[in-house]
Amino acid sequence: MTKLLEVTNITAGYGDGPAIIDGAQLTIEPGKVHCIIGPNGAGKSTLLKAICGMLSIRKGDVVFKGERLNGLRPDQILRKGICFVPQERALFAKMTVRENLRMGGFILDDKRELERRIDGILERFPILRERADQHAGTMSGGQQQTLAMARTLIIKPDIVMLDEPSLGLAPKVVQEMFDIMKMMSAEGVTVLLVEQNALMGLKNADWGVVLDLGRTLFEGPAATVLADPRIQELYLGGKKAA
Amino acid sequence: MAEILQILILGLALGGVIALMGSGLSLVFGVMRIVNLAHPALIIGGAYITYLAFKTFDIDPIAMLPVAAVAMAAVGVVLYRLLFQREAKSAKYSEMTVLLTFALAMMVEGLLGGLFTNTQRVTSPDYATAAFFIGDVFIPKGQLYAGLVSLAIIAALSLFLKYSRLGYAIRATTQNREAAELLGVNVQFISVLAFAIGIGLAGAAGSLVSFVFSFFPAKHWEWIAMLMSVVVLGGMGSILGTVVGALILSVVAAFVGTWIGATWSTLTFFLALFIILLVRPQGLFGEKPEMA
Ligand SMILES: Nc1ncnc2c1ncn2[C@@H]1O[C@H](COP(=O)(O)OP(=O)(O)OP(=O)(O)O)[C@@H](O)[C@H]1O
Ligand SMILES: [Mg+2]
Repeated sequence: MTKLLEVTNITAGYGDGPAIIDGAQLTIEPGKVHCIIGPNGAGKSTLLKAICGMLSIRKGDVVFKGERLNGLRPDQILRKGICFVPQERALFAKMTVRENLRMGGFILDDKRELERRIDGILERFPILRERADQHAGTMSGGQQQTLAMARTLIIKPDIVMLDEPSLGLAPKVVQEMFDIMKMMSAEGVTVLLVEQNALMGLKNADWGVVLDLGRTLFEGPAATVLADPRIQELYLGGKKAA
Repeated sequence: MAEILQILILGLALGGVIALMGSGLSLVFGVMRIVNLAHPALIIGGAYITYLAFKTFDIDPIAMLPVAAVAMAAVGVVLYRLLFQREAKSAKYSEMTVLLTFALAMMVEGLLGGLFTNTQRVTSPDYATAAFFIGDVFIPKGQLYAGLVSLAIIAALSLFLKYSRLGYAIRATTQNREAAELLGVNVQFISVLAFAIGIGLAGAAGSLVSFVFSFFPAKHWEWIAMLMSVVVLGGMGSILGTVVGALILSVVAAFVGTWIGATWSTLTFFLALFIILLVRPQGLFGEKPEMA
């Protein structure tokens, strides 16, 4: 199988602090949806931050399209084609929706092309078009998350990493976020999702990764992970219902 | 009525200059969360550059403004690399920079004292002592020019921040450094750039200040309180806020100075600082804690 991104045995942490991630690994295949699950504090967010260059990698390798990414800054990694939507504070609250989208295309040099793509996004997301000139901070949680996800599409990235896009949203809105994610995937964007709700996440994914205490416990097809008795017991709320 | 108009015009002209003096302070705080207590000392640095050119080569202070701005911007780059770059990763960054810039202010003062002595200086181009009259209202040319040039520079800065690509990057970094970085902004570069622009603005303000106020190396202690209250009233980090804050406080100080007494005029700024911090610490246009 072809691999787009390979994370092998990495160690990472904050500043001079202890290693939060120690022995994490991941295999990302092009075009698929990958879901990382694990309990609170497992290091899921930390792993994504390490991949995107916000934290320095102390050991191990992150290899993207055959190229080592270790030591690159976030802006450099973005230019390679990996886009990260953090768990919180992804937007510029005091910028309008349109300005947020413009920032989303910051790395594009062709201004005309950027405006064209922004119009394209607004076309596809009526919620955003209606609020194009509204400050992002004044929108609802779901609208903000929609903007954060839609914004990644401006630069047509290879991989989008989403950290708990469903956090704090009502169930109906959560489904909308998964729909957007599916749409991204259908367009050929490879998705790496972190999801607190393991069942929901795995059901919407092709590949599952179980992370605990900064280590990868288990990695495999989402259906296999879902069915694994250990996973059932640890993360899916006890015994299998069937 | 004429008296009120008179005071208002003087207050506004001076307010324009004070806005320029404060704008660099506000910008640097916004982007880097550095409370640069050395900002007014660096303004005085710009004033001395202008003074030297005026005394030695008879160069007009306003003509000297771009030179002082660029020279001080270069000083800004050096200071950033030397003092702030390494600290940026520390958790106590903001606290550290207060001590650091306090020490820097004293160093700049000492250096300027060594170079130029502590004598009061002022540049004296023709317009510094001339005035227009509109009816009974007199408008000193020096203050008017300084105020207008200041507001023109701030307008240019605002347009740059609002519409240019680097301006977007600076605003984005001010609002949410992490998100900016994740969208491809090299925040290290933007920090150096914003610091250079901020100190460049101090240099530019120095040129104007050189013929509006008399100055000497220790004068900056008077100004830091004034600039702090202006920037805090406007909301730390907001350029528009700084302009509004400067105009309001300067006009109030002008009325207080005329009607109550000149010594009370400076007190206006201290008093305002206390009141704002108690009543509305984020100022008029300041950032409230940001959303998720
Ligand atoms: N900025 C930080 N500085 C220091 N330690 C941190 C920081 N952020 C997180 N940690 C620590 O790293 C560990 C893992 O946190 P992380 O946010 O990666 O977990 P998570 O799996 O994303 O959890 P959650 O499901 O709550 O989002 C925790 O013990 C946390 O205390
Ligand atoms: Mg997390």
